[in-house]
Amino acid sequence: MRLQIPLTIILVMGIFTLVTSFIPAKPIADVNQMFRNWYIGIITFFIFLGTFNLARSNAEKIKKQGRDWQYSIILLAFLGIMLFFGFYRGRASTEEGQPFMYLYFNVQFPLESTMYSLLAFFVTSASFRAFRARNKEALCLLLAAVVIMLGRVPVGTAIWKGFPTVTEWIMNYPNAAAKRGIRLGIDLGLISMALRMILGIERSYMQ
Amino acid sequence: MGVVERLSRLDRRYIFLAVAIAVTLPIFFPIGLPIEVTAPVKQLYDVIEDLPERAVVLISIDYDPSGAPELQPATLAILRHCFKRNLRVLVLGMWAPGVPLGMKALEEIAENEFHRQYGIDYVNFGYRPGGAIFLINLGRDVHDVCRTDVYGTPVEDLPMMDDVHSASDIALVISMSMGVPGSDQWIWYYHARYRGKLATAQTAIGAPRYYPYLQTGQLIGLIGGMKGAAEYERLVQTRGLATIGMDSQSAAHMLIIGFVILGNFIFWMQKRKR
Amino acid sequence: MREPELRQLAKPDRDTVEVMRLKLIIVAAIIAVICNVDIADASTTPQVADSISILPPRIISLKDTPNDAGTSIDIEWELSPTESLIPGMIIEYQVLRAPSPDSTFEQVGSVPAGTSTYTDEGTIPNKPYWYRVAAVGREQQVVSEMAGPGHSVMQWFDRRRIGVAIFVALTCTLVMVFIEVAKRKGKMFLRRLPVFDAIDEAIGRATEMGRKVLYIMGQMDVDDPQTVASMSILARVAERTADYGTRLDIPCVWPMAMSMARETVKESYLRVGKPDEFNANDIYYMTSDQFGYVAGVDGIMMRDRPAANFYLGSFFAESLIFAETGYTTGAIQIAGTAEVDQLPFFVVACDYTLIGEELYAAGASLSGDPIQIGSIRGQDVAKAIFFVYIVAGVVLKLFGINWLETLLKID
Repeated sequence: MRLQIPLTIILVMGIFTLVTSFIPAKPIADVNQMFRNWYIGIITFFIFLGTFNLARSNAEKIKKQGRDWQYSIILLAFLGIMLFFGFYRGRASTEEGQPFMYLYFNVQFPLESTMYSLLAFFVTSASFRAFRARNKEALCLLLAAVVIMLGRVPVGTAIWKGFPTVTEWIMNYPNAAAKRGIRLGIDLGLISMALRMILGIERSYMQ
Repeated sequence: MGVVERLSRLDRRYIFLAVAIAVTLPIFFPIGLPIEVTAPVKQLYDVIEDLPERAVVLISIDYDPSGAPELQPATLAILRHCFKRNLRVLVLGMWAPGVPLGMKALEEIAENEFHRQYGIDYVNFGYRPGGAIFLINLGRDVHDVCRTDVYGTPVEDLPMMDDVHSASDIALVISMSMGVPGSDQWIWYYHARYRGKLATAQTAIGAPRYYPYLQTGQLIGLIGGMKGAAEYERLVQTRGLATIGMDSQSAAHMLIIGFVILGNFIFWMQKRKR
Repeated sequence: MREPELRQLAKPDRDTVEVMRLKLIIVAAIIAVICNVDIADASTTPQVADSISILPPRIISLKDTPNDAGTSIDIEWELSPTESLIPGMIIEYQVLRAPSPDSTFEQVGSVPAGTSTYTDEGTIPNKPYWYRVAAVGREQQVVSEMAGPGHSVMQWFDRRRIGVAIFVALTCTLVMVFIEVAKRKGKMFLRRLPVFDAIDEAIGRATEMGRKVLYIMGQMDVDDPQTVASMSILARVAERTADYGTRLDIPCVWPMAMSMARETVKESYLRVGKPDEFNANDIYYMTSDQFGYVAGVDGIMMRDRPAANFYLGSFFAESLIFAETGYTTGAIQIAGTAEVDQLPFFVVACDYTLIGEELYAAGASLSGDPIQIGSIRGQDVAKAIFFVYIVAGVVLKLFGINWLETLLKID
């Protein structure tokens, strides 16, 4: 029973969702709507579960003084600070000049931008290390990449006015065609996997 | 150890240093190369130009601070264009950390630059959870899924929303997106059901995947990365952060091309040696 | 199912309109001369424009909006002739509705000048409604003749999605047929991807080095199919780590994915008979913030130096940051995603990459279950059919035959 009940729920809900995506009629649409609202409610609840889990595991680490436990203190301190400043004046906490907004724009914003900007460094090092013209196909890719890089910045246009046009052509035709091909395969794989789940064939996550 | 061998084992910290210099120097010594406007950006600009006055444009802030350097300039340029054209703007977002970015953009453009009135010329519904499901419901009944704005004001008390009830009341949707939920969801769940005009602004890394949608007409415009934002800034005749950043981007791209050529030269030399 | 109704409404006397139009032109010209303004400038001089009467619009049709729940009616009207004569004089059109011809008409919506259609989305199925459209100027408005009754009708099938329905039905049928074939036949051949052997190799190496295995499920929650696909691969990876007694570290982006991962790993440890070695604390929530998570995972890689890194699921801008950091720590890296843009980064920086649909097939393939493998065979046959369909469509299109192209078209 422990296995059959969830499998039945998956089967019924899976078929219902699939079939009703083609039925606009109001009674069916309303039931669909109700399920969607349930889902939003469930994921909202899980956010609390995640925060609780985060706090508990880090508190345990501090208590046991496990490896790098000092980082957990910083994490919990900032979790508390952001929560406090986010709640202490209700909705007004997110108004301009409030501590929450100060922390957001002066701590979170630069930290996240910094992490994202690492990409520029890693793209360069990865290109240097791995972007090699080992064969004709790789050479084609390499040339296309160089053209696109030049077509995407003003310096490319300064070198040759045609770079943006060639770039747009590469993006619109070879790029779009390849993406569609891969996409089609992905979508078929998706349907197959969804069916395995709906029919209860794939249930590795169940006890 | 020969030069080639030494170069092949180049410590990547030297590469990082070179990138840092290439990106930083042009900020202090700008070159100001001219920016060419590409078709996908111009298409969006033209659509906004052709919208009737007071039409409603929905801007979805689907990014967080990490994507802000690329996407915030585009948001500012689009807002500037919308208010210049006397359009009404509805802002919301599916990424919670993006809410302050939307608020800041509205404050900068709507309040300070164009002196527009909140609730009449623009509204901000802030973070909306639920991703795809939220979008399906939004197209059906805006008031049902946006009952209060970001300040807690009931939707009934916002005069702008009196005639904005469903997807058919929204003339254009622009998804400023850096991931999921974002433009994919707008295309698959909103546009597929409710049609209407939809455009997107993407980080440079995400832009290529949206070209097929541009071809099929599911998207009417595409702003790709900081370059796209700089193009839009040029169209609305402002010199914003994207335009300023273009020299750095030019230098970074040239440096990457340089390293690719160097890498291949090393590869070729080593192959010859073998 | 009732067909959408089209009600052609009685046309007003065309002569009357023409006479009114002529009169209006004359009046406008006289006023223009008196005020010494150009007709083209009338739009910028509302005091002149508003002294002229606006001509009414004319409702052409009331149609049930097709393919909906029966809660809307499409109204189409002919623009007021005033729009073309004096541009800018009309600001907007207001749509008015009444439940009976004698009732008061109430505004249900408005559209800017130049728009001749509106969808009234607040109707009750099969209930009659009467409509008027008002052309609104700055100081005056004129209402069209009444039109109606119009009904909205509930539909039981969205015809715009017939192409999708055929596509899904065909694929589902083929998958199910091949599942049946696999049940009877017992075994089916499926090309073994090199990455499958690499999984064992990577976990074996981690065991030898006494280091842990890091498993990243991507940025999305369990409502994303890639996360679910990742979960089925995780089940196989967890079986191996349980078998070898290697620690499996899974930082999660979403709490719901964390709960599901815990169940998956727990089940795997049970399957190999080592339930006591399962440690729930190794599967934990980190943060739902994309780059906060990147910072956290990079920290784990640099501090703990896992010997094998798995990146399987939905990845975005963080893909290269993970893969390059992992490369510097010397870990064996196995990646897989259906995010096409991120594939080049994984291919460049990782040892093995599952490309697109391989991610969805990997769990089934690794399980060795003939029924699951049968579903992949069905999917492959569907792909072959669609490939033929696409090629035939292109060839026919070249000869100017479009029916194959439009057969599966959405809308």
